[in-house]
Amino acid sequence: MRARKFLVPVALLLVLALATTIVAAQEKKVKWEPWGPRVDQIIMPIIKDSEAQLIAFERGESVVLPGLTRPGDINKVKQNPNADITVNLGFHMFYLCFNMRRGPLDDVAVRQAIAHVTNREQIINQLFQGYMLPLTSFVPQSSPFHNPNVPQYPYNPEKAKEILDKAGYKLDKATGVRIDPKTGKPLRKMKIFTPTYEVAPTSAELGKMIAEAAKAIGLPVDPEPMDFPVMLEKIDVFDFDMYVLAWGLSRIPDYLYTFFHSSQDVEAGYNTPGIRDPELDKAVEAVYYPPDLETAKAAAAKAQVILSQKLPYVTLYSRPYMDAWRKDMVTGYVPMLGYGAAQYNNGWTTLNIRRVQGPGGTIRWLLPEEPKNLNMCVASSAYEWEVLGRIGDGLLAVNPETLEDMPWLAKSWKVETWEPEPGKKGTKVTWFLEKGVKWQDGEPFTSADIKFTIEYLKKNEVPLYISDLQDIVKVETPDPYTAIVYFSTVSYWHLYHAAYSFLPKHIWENVKDWKGFQPWLEPHPKVKGLTKVIGTGPFILKEYKPGEYVRLIKNPIYWRLNPPKK
Amino acid sequence: MGFRTYLIRRIVYALIVLFVILTFNFAVFRLMPGDAEKMIIDPRFSPEARMALRKQFGLDDPPLVQYWKYITSLLRFDLGQSFATRRPVASELAERLPNTIVLFLTAFTLTMIIGTAVGVYAAQHRGTFAETFVTGAGLFTYAVPTFFFQLLLLMLFGYYIRIFPIHGTMSAPPPDGAFLRFLDRVHHLILPAGSNVIIGFGSWALYTRNTMLEALGQDYIITARAKGLPRRDILYHHALRSVLPPIVTLIFLSLPGLVTGAVITETIFSWHGVGRYLMDAVLQQDYPAAQGAFYLIALAVIISNFMADLVYGLVDPRIRVGAGERR
Repeated sequence: MRARKFLVPVALLLVLALATTIVAAQEKKVKWEPWGPRVDQIIMPIIKDSEAQLIAFERGESVVLPGLTRPGDINKVKQNPNADITVNLGFHMFYLCFNMRRGPLDDVAVRQAIAHVTNREQIINQLFQGYMLPLTSFVPQSSPFHNPNVPQYPYNPEKAKEILDKAGYKLDKATGVRIDPKTGKPLRKMKIFTPTYEVAPTSAELGKMIAEAAKAIGLPVDPEPMDFPVMLEKIDVFDFDMYVLAWGLSRIPDYLYTFFHSSQDVEAGYNTPGIRDPELDKAVEAVYYPPDLETAKAAAAKAQVILSQKLPYVTLYSRPYMDAWRKDMVTGYVPMLGYGAAQYNNGWTTLNIRRVQGPGGTIRWLLPEEPKNLNMCVASSAYEWEVLGRIGDGLLAVNPETLEDMPWLAKSWKVETWEPEPGKKGTKVTWFLEKGVKWQDGEPFTSADIKFTIEYLKKNEVPLYISDLQDIVKVETPDPYTAIVYFSTVSYWHLYHAAYSFLPKHIWENVKDWKGFQPWLEPHPKVKGLTKVIGTGPFILKEYKPGEYVRLIKNPIYWRLNPPKK
Repeated sequence: MGFRTYLIRRIVYALIVLFVILTFNFAVFRLMPGDAEKMIIDPRFSPEARMALRKQFGLDDPPLVQYWKYITSLLRFDLGQSFATRRPVASELAERLPNTIVLFLTAFTLTMIIGTAVGVYAAQHRGTFAETFVTGAGLFTYAVPTFFFQLLLLMLFGYYIRIFPIHGTMSAPPPDGAFLRFLDRVHHLILPAGSNVIIGFGSWALYTRNTMLEALGQDYIITARAKGLPRRDILYHHALRSVLPPIVTLIFLSLPGLVTGAVITETIFSWHGVGRYLMDAVLQQDYPAAQGAFYLIALAVIISNFMADLVYGLVDPRIRVGAGERR
């Protein structure tokens, strides 16, 4: 008891310290500019083993150690006087899911009681040495859509007992198990599925901690670590009581629809808790198809309140993105809300990072996995986009501090509605493009490339893009610098459904086999030294040696190389 | 039974074994718990996108159709397209195989030579400190977990005494000039191959020592000694020659390592080889990649065993004669 009394303040202090660090990191204004790049070359050695990554960072063979997660590594890096750690809130959620189709978990009182005995601070302190942030809503703190004003279930076992007593789950003192008021019999045994200790030790331990806490208030819950594919299969067919897992989320909270709309409560669907609530359906539909940003924000806020009342999940913690930098070698890295300083989504670091001794030269930036496939139509892993993301450019950029949209390849845009058929409304997005932007082979980037990309991906039903493009009806290009994209439905998110990296029409129009095309292995038809992987971005792919390294060189004709002369 | 009949029989056996392995290879990944689709499909994909992916990878075909496509493709050496990378499995394996072969051949050759030599030396010096040391060191290196030992070496020579590279098969980028590139490759090979030699030499040394000691106790060795033959001749011409056949067996049985690779070594030293590829494929339920890698391994095992049988058949005619036909 004394230990617990001691533990709680320590845990709170640690969490507070992390929160303060994050806030301090967010507030530490890093001067970032929309111009660059400031180095001539980035060499990305592929180092898969985490110990070798750490050694490479210590040896200065990589200026960055991206995505620190293990407390041991963080503590080790902290001891290095030449290391600087950037900390950013992340789009990440770790949660405990209930199967609401099964009793007694179909009763919100039981779910609330389990929420009240889940001690987030203790979990974060014991398992992660304080390097996580407690999460109590269904959208993480990093998102502008996060709503902190939702019903809370702070750690309070007495309150949990009270809720259960009030709902009729009386404690049988002889067995220590509560009686199910519906059957008059002791509650059935329930399981929390977790991955095994070998695969995910913290998840397995976390499941055990929650189960023990539930047992202490008379709920017969046991942890059951299991092989990960087996666990996924059981979840798919709803053969579970509870499980713990994590989601890597995105800036747009449309996942609320995927995870909690009743239409997604199908076998192998993502509404695994099986929540079916008309009011929630309405709210998440409005999140999925909002006519404007304000509607989306209001609907997301409402959905979070309903979810916190109904509790299909107990959200547990969110992982901040921590990246270590060799401050004696580089400067100019830009922390970014939601993504961290080192991720490819953060183009600001790519543009602004420079050597301490001055502009130009080479930096080394480790890749923790093989990029494998640099064909934009099939590249799906983050490691592939760590490379491609530095070669291409989007129509929009995202402000690293506010996450607001900023003009990029599109100097401006308009979101309107139109009538796809009489009486029906759809979204119409007009992009006004920057002039003078060129592909890395010198060809101009125009609205024809946008039209070609959308039509090519749609015609070939490229799976990675089907969801984004399925509502596009047509693309018009009234001039080389204007593209109008027509959607059959109304949604503000359609703004992002055609705003990614584009395919150079003059390269791809002759590609018949989009799946088998390996553009990084084929030389450019006209420009010596280039491959067919070209973009409009700050770096050019010079070389990819599988298993060894990727070499990117500065794009000498990049349209954002220098600020315009006044 | 003549050598020709023996050869034909071995080939038929090898083909039957290959067919059984391939069928098992097909079934085992589909019977494994989990769903490959889950590994390749993003939660935000629409049903249309999921359908398109299933179609792209042939997951929408009935199992028998999938099996037929699988067997006919393998006969054409078409190993399919990886779910995870969307690249042809054959090119991915071709990229990795040379690295695995270089690592294996270097480590294996050194292990075999050093292990056998040390084993012979220990047998020759039975009862001395040298033998005790060899036995102890052999047992110790054999017992130490590979990953632990390799991580120790990584820390020692990668961090504290920074004389060896810690990842990859070459510098990024490699130096200019063929000779410098060769030296660069050798430099990168030292830690991964060296650690495997240290870990592996013990079993060879102990095996050779034991078989040599057994041979040295045989009547014909005593006779040779009684005849007054030089010690060196007895050791190398009589004893060592008699223990060579089991060592040849060991060599052939180790040959599949040429393609299976060493998962732990490849992971720790970021060595771009087949072992790590196979492990990733199994974990990600990447059927085509795993099937392709296992196909390669099955071929290597069958060919190695076939070669072992063949060499035995040539070396020792008794093996060619079946038990029932013995006269």
